[in-house]
Amino acid sequence: MIKLENIHKSYGLADNKAEVLKGISIGIEDGDFAVILGPSGSGKSTLMNVASGLERPDSGRVLYGGENIAELSDDKLTAFRKRTIGFIFQQYYLLPNLTVDKNVRMGAELAGNRDYAEVIDALGLSEKRRKYPYELSGGEQQRVSAARALAKKPDVLFLDEPTGALDEETGRSVLNYISGLQEKLGFTIIMVTHNVNIAEMAKTVIRMNSGRIVECFRNETRKTAYEIGW
Amino acid sequence: MVSTKDIFKFSGVTVIAACAVFVSTLFLNFNIDLKGIEGQIADIPTRALYDALVMSGKVVSAVSGGCLVLTSAVMLCFYIGHYIDAHRKELGVLKALGYTNLRIARGFWVFGLSVFAGAAVGYAAAHCLMPWFYEAQCDGLPKFGADFHFELMFFLVILPTAVFALFSVIYGCIRLRAPVLVLINGKADGRAKPCRSDKERPFLSDLRRSVVRSRKSLVFFIGFAAFCFSAMVQMAFAVDGLASELMSYMMLGIGLTLAFVTLFIAVETVVRSNAKTISIMGAFGYSRGDCSSAVLSGYRPAALTGFVIGTFYQHILLKIAVNVIFSDIEGLPDLDFNFAVLGIAAAAFAVFYEVIMYVYARKIGRLSVKEVLSDSV
Repeated sequence: MIKLENIHKSYGLADNKAEVLKGISIGIEDGDFAVILGPSGSGKSTLMNVASGLERPDSGRVLYGGENIAELSDDKLTAFRKRTIGFIFQQYYLLPNLTVDKNVRMGAELAGNRDYAEVIDALGLSEKRRKYPYELSGGEQQRVSAARALAKKPDVLFLDEPTGALDEETGRSVLNYISGLQEKLGFTIIMVTHNVNIAEMAKTVIRMNSGRIVECFRNETRKTAYEIGW
Repeated sequence: MVSTKDIFKFSGVTVIAACAVFVSTLFLNFNIDLKGIEGQIADIPTRALYDALVMSGKVVSAVSGGCLVLTSAVMLCFYIGHYIDAHRKELGVLKALGYTNLRIARGFWVFGLSVFAGAAVGYAAAHCLMPWFYEAQCDGLPKFGADFHFELMFFLVILPTAVFALFSVIYGCIRLRAPVLVLINGKADGRAKPCRSDKERPFLSDLRRSVVRSRKSLVFFIGFAAFCFSAMVQMAFAVDGLASELMSYMMLGIGLTLAFVTLFIAVETVVRSNAKTISIMGAFGYSRGDCSSAVLSGYRPAALTGFVIGTFYQHILLKIAVNVIFSDIEGLPDLDFNFAVLGIAAAAFAVFYEVIMYVYARKIGRLSVKEVLSDSV
């Protein structure tokens, strides 16, 4: 169970101070598929950064099974991310001078996963294993980013606008693979998006605006990646 | 689009140019003034000393000045390449709008000002030190003072500035020949063609290799820093009895300055250009130790190689000085390889290198994952 309790986060100093998160409290069950929806500037990416341990909140607690990661030292926080967290970023952030295979291995080695080739194959990247990121299309790069995160076998997978740069077909196939794997392995997904259609795939939908949660509900009629609108 | 602010980033070129012009000005100015007393030399031993000083002035200026000018050129190329990489999107848009390579690159002449700054400082510093230098060098010769020679200022300050300014424009033109889309969209971060080896190596080992391969010029600079440290420090101790104390201090000062500045610039560039990689690794859970080892430790062989070459270089240069240039001078001590000095220099360099690496490893640890990733969007 991931619990965020009364999270506050601001940027800037004095007169320029902008409060981005204004007392957020939510709970996400293990194995949940949560989607955080909201317009630009609503604080959803900051919430993801805080929940994943990339940033510390100004105040409040971020609890993973009772452990408050906001209080961990940098080294312990890194070790926590190593054993628990996976990321898929909108901008991919692949290592430019390493091949697809080696980019995926970056995630796999952290989990001691020797069978990472299966993930590469499942995401349709078998033919691209020896290619470099600059030789791939945006969609292919995002699939490599997904493969890297999944090869790490995370307990919690954070996705930041994962389909933002993808065409419909690629976007659906990436989401389909990730949600299928989640059903099978039971890890938790927390996805930030502004695409309301993707929320139809989620078990939990969290709507944000101006740094606050305005709505949080369970989705009773979940759809697959091929049933949602685009 | 090139601003004078960008020139400050070329400080490495300035320091190396300053050292080159400093050494060359001292020895060449001395040689020119030395010619003035040629008629006063009557006895054979003094003539032998005179000839040896003229020859050593030429050799030192040619070897030290030449090496440093070459390194300045390499560093200037490196900086211009770095500048183009950092501004490739803007430069690509300019090219897309129809600006020619020459039109864009002609603004690069300002990078030549970094050479001017270094040359001017080196020239002025040499003139400040000249009275002491002349006194030390003139031991055994009729006394004479230092004169100002405009031709030296022209050849060591004005001409290099013009040549390096022109060189910057030409090199900029060559680097801008990349297709517009490659500039706008970017390719691999490094200019070197990455290796597609299928060898099963751990990820960190692969990353270490790719970091080193992606910027080979940094391998050169780290090797050069070690070379300067090794050669100049060992030479400073080895010339005891062969040259004045002032010369030893000069060598030590120049060696340490070049080594520190070059190593600092190289390591700073390594860390800055790999900030995104380090941040991604940190986000995924790689420890600070893993990140700094992957990014920094691949350069140790280059440093070791540079140190070894520097050791041989200084010994061979001093052998040539003793056996060829000063062969007619009586009473010179034997020049045997000094293992004690080698040991001290090696230990000092190891400490010096590892302290810089430690400082940067800490800097890597302080990189904010979120900030680096936000900046790169």
